[in-house]
Amino acid sequence: MNKPDSAKLFESELEQAEQRWQDSYDASAGAEKDSVNRSGIEIKPLYTPQDRAGKDFFSEIGFPGEYPNTRGIYASMHRGRSWTQRQLIGWGVPEDYNARLKDILAHGGTALSLIPCNSVYRGYDADEVPPELLGTCGVVVNSIEDMDIALADVPLDRISCALNDPSPFTLLALLLAVAKRRAIPWSKITGTSNQSDYLSHSVANHMFFRLALPGARRVITDHIEFANESLPGWNPLSVVGQHTQQAGATPAEAMGFTLAAALQYAEDCIARGMDPDRFLPRFTFFFDISISFFEEIAKFRAGRRLWARYARERLGAKDPKSWRFKFHGQTSGVDLTRQQPLNNIARVTVQAMAGIFGGLQSLHTDGYDEAVSVPTAEAARIAIATQNILREESQLTDVIDPLGGSYYVETLTDQMEQQIEAVIARIDAAGGMYKAVEKGLVQQMIGESAMAHQSKIESGAQTVVGVNAFRIEEDPYEYRSQPYPDPASIAAQSARLTAFKKNRSNAATSHALDDLARAAQGTENIMAHTVAAADAGATHGEICAVLRRELGFGQPLAVV
Amino acid sequence: MVTEGAHPPKVIVTKIGFDGHDRGSRLVAAFLRDAGMEVIYTPPWQEVATVVKLAIEEDAEVIGISSLATDHLLVPRLMNALRDAGVKDVQVIVGGIVPARDEKLLLEAGVARVFHPGTSLEEIAHEIRNLAMRARAMREKETP
Amino acid sequence: MVIDAEWLQRIRAGDRRTIARAITSLENDPACTEGLRAALAPYTGHAHVVGITGPAGAGKSTLVNALVGEFLRRGHSIAVVAVDPSSPFTGGAVLGDRIRMAEHQAHERVFIRSLAARGHAGGLSRTTAQVVDVLDAAGFDLVLVETVGAGQSDVAIAKLARTRVVVYPPGLGDEIQALKAGVLEIADILVVNKSDLPGADRTARDLRAMPARRGERTRRAVLKTASTTGDGVAQLANAIMEREPRNPGEDSDAITMQSPPR
Repeated sequence: MNKPDSAKLFESELEQAEQRWQDSYDASAGAEKDSVNRSGIEIKPLYTPQDRAGKDFFSEIGFPGEYPNTRGIYASMHRGRSWTQRQLIGWGVPEDYNARLKDILAHGGTALSLIPCNSVYRGYDADEVPPELLGTCGVVVNSIEDMDIALADVPLDRISCALNDPSPFTLLALLLAVAKRRAIPWSKITGTSNQSDYLSHSVANHMFFRLALPGARRVITDHIEFANESLPGWNPLSVVGQHTQQAGATPAEAMGFTLAAALQYAEDCIARGMDPDRFLPRFTFFFDISISFFEEIAKFRAGRRLWARYARERLGAKDPKSWRFKFHGQTSGVDLTRQQPLNNIARVTVQAMAGIFGGLQSLHTDGYDEAVSVPTAEAARIAIATQNILREESQLTDVIDPLGGSYYVETLTDQMEQQIEAVIARIDAAGGMYKAVEKGLVQQMIGESAMAHQSKIESGAQTVVGVNAFRIEEDPYEYRSQPYPDPASIAAQSARLTAFKKNRSNAATSHALDDLARAAQGTENIMAHTVAAADAGATHGEICAVLRRELGFGQPLAVV
Repeated sequence: MVTEGAHPPKVIVTKIGFDGHDRGSRLVAAFLRDAGMEVIYTPPWQEVATVVKLAIEEDAEVIGISSLATDHLLVPRLMNALRDAGVKDVQVIVGGIVPARDEKLLLEAGVARVFHPGTSLEEIAHEIRNLAMRARAMREKETP
Repeated sequence: MVIDAEWLQRIRAGDRRTIARAITSLENDPACTEGLRAALAPYTGHAHVVGITGPAGAGKSTLVNALVGEFLRRGHSIAVVAVDPSSPFTGGAVLGDRIRMAEHQAHERVFIRSLAARGHAGGLSRTTAQVVDVLDAAGFDLVLVETVGAGQSDVAIAKLARTRVVVYPPGLGDEIQALKAGVLEIADILVVNKSDLPGADRTARDLRAMPARRGERTRRAVLKTASTTGDGVAQLANAIMEREPRNPGEDSDAITMQSPPR
């Protein structure tokens, strides 16, 4: 193609200028320092128009809200409507949850996220587990009554609910039962099954196995189908990159695994006969945001662009809503330190900014005491204040995708895209995410990256302030950490559960659980029966027990 | 006299309770292998009784418990179960997020050492090796 | 470890700590091997020792797990010896086979011991045979020995086991032809695992077509299993149990035979 003379002149001037700069740089720079980001991409000291030569603006960058959405999934993004401030809350008994939730909503939270007790994650009710483990890391919710108390005075028809509840989505079932009792139509319920991505749980073990993989696979598809039909405001799927990244995957790997998993879930829905334009608009994503600032921004921009392409070209979706990469970001607890915990406020701020510039739709910021315990009320308030400050004081949201067009950020976005696609290609070659997970491939990749990162920290190649540099003598008792739940309140909670089971119609409950078992043995929609069982008074543990029996208990595959 | 070079330390790396975060325990297991030890690695969510059985069958010298959430609160139960099973020489360490107030509790229950986040793998391996030697010395004194 | 009447009594009673200690002593103290062998000799030969070998990726551990479940259902007691390679550079090892046996490891009729090969050639550790003797004398009905990889270990297992099972993944293709003759000489039962994957039928056919052992009248069994679903596992257990000696004294490797299995 013949370039106009002015373009050629510009190029030649550019080359010369770059050479001049390079000479000055070489003469002046201190010790030679290579820089490689976490995904293994080498970072130069300077990026120029040369790095963007030959790139096509419209197919690669374009405009926000327009395919391939690189600059954002909506035309107005945060300038039009700020991200949702959705703080993860969960501790103690339902009353404790309700109190903390109200506190956060009063201080700037705009949506709720409920994290249940680990016993709930493992599929057990409070009366089946050692009491010392109840309520320490999440709220104990086993029954409709518990959910009702946890959400007391919460307008379910106006506030979006994220329930961090993996298969078989009993917490959602309990929520729907509560809504029914409050005469709130299900069509008004909005929110997300925040931890529905079973594949990520099975490789990173962050949430807990309840069902064997093939059974869980069916449950997710049933769940998506049920939500598409009965819960128009609900996102049944949240494909989670957080766990793999927290387990040690590089940012590019985490994005690659996540997109590969999303493709599997979509393909399963298509195989079930669902129309991509029906279910894709309700696919969402959930990511870790590390402190590697520009890398995270590029990761999100690349992921957004790739997903638009996959949705349109690989999955055949035609509606632009189907191409949207909607995601929630959580600042990464892995980068936070136990040493000098107040430093974590600075870290969380950097991570949050990366998420905002990356174009997230919803954000959780960690408390500074994350590395020590469940956040105290003070740490939780500072975390939400951080979002308020970024939103209101720093003018970050004036411009949509402000880093778009940056020679560095656009180049890094392209490079991250290549890395991500290489990961997806590896997963495809293994037969897709389910097969790759069964083979242990994903676990192996995560383990290798985790070891590489750890080695960098231990050798000092990666500085961590307060840990391998800038250490101080500290009194570990100095920092107040959230106490454990009062044993009396835990005992009262268990008593409440016993009373609940006594006062309900056990005939109705048994009947509903039998129906659920039959559905699991056959082909009826399991989610519909789970919802019916919860409505009939079945508890979380009882529902999980039935499905574990019918679909098999998941044994984790660990690879070292 | 127990010499270090005799045979590799035998270590179990495991997690009890409900939490599933295993990044740390996998790193420790790999590092211990690279440091010349024999490691029985288990996935998370082991029952206390299973860990005791494992320790007996594999004749472990050290048990490393990794705990992110509050599962370390179960460790006193493990210590009791080991004692009840007549396992007296196995050294138990706990690594992870353990609030200072609980560290005392664990040491009083018989845990040999608690490691906090930020401890190097090198230091953990070094201590485990020492503890394995301690277990061996205790065994030599025991009647068979 | 003092090998005396009391020790012997504890072994024969199946005391887990004593068994485990004995195995450790065998691993670490070559001097005790002879004394132990002599003490146990009158009490071995009862257990059905099954060697399970095969290339990496065949799913041996998962299959062993499924077999343990099947034998438990039949009322048997099972000991598993899982041998893993040691790093040639550091001498360390992650003994990870038992991860895949988590399902039954807590059962009181199951005993699992992991051994590091410690550089010993042949896929077994130096002491595997004596370790098997301890478990035999302790009264386990079956002792399953799972080894490292294929090739040499298949030969090493021959002396040790009454039943030699070699497990392959599906889709071997041309590699079948390259299989060492020694492997097939030794194998009593060939298994194609992961039979839910494509290529399993073909692999099974190819294995059946391999030449029989010299002088063998009956063909060795070729079975298909899918350890994750359980398909074929009962048949494999049957094939193994069919090789139990029918009459006491029939097994020429034993010095004496025990009275009927406990």
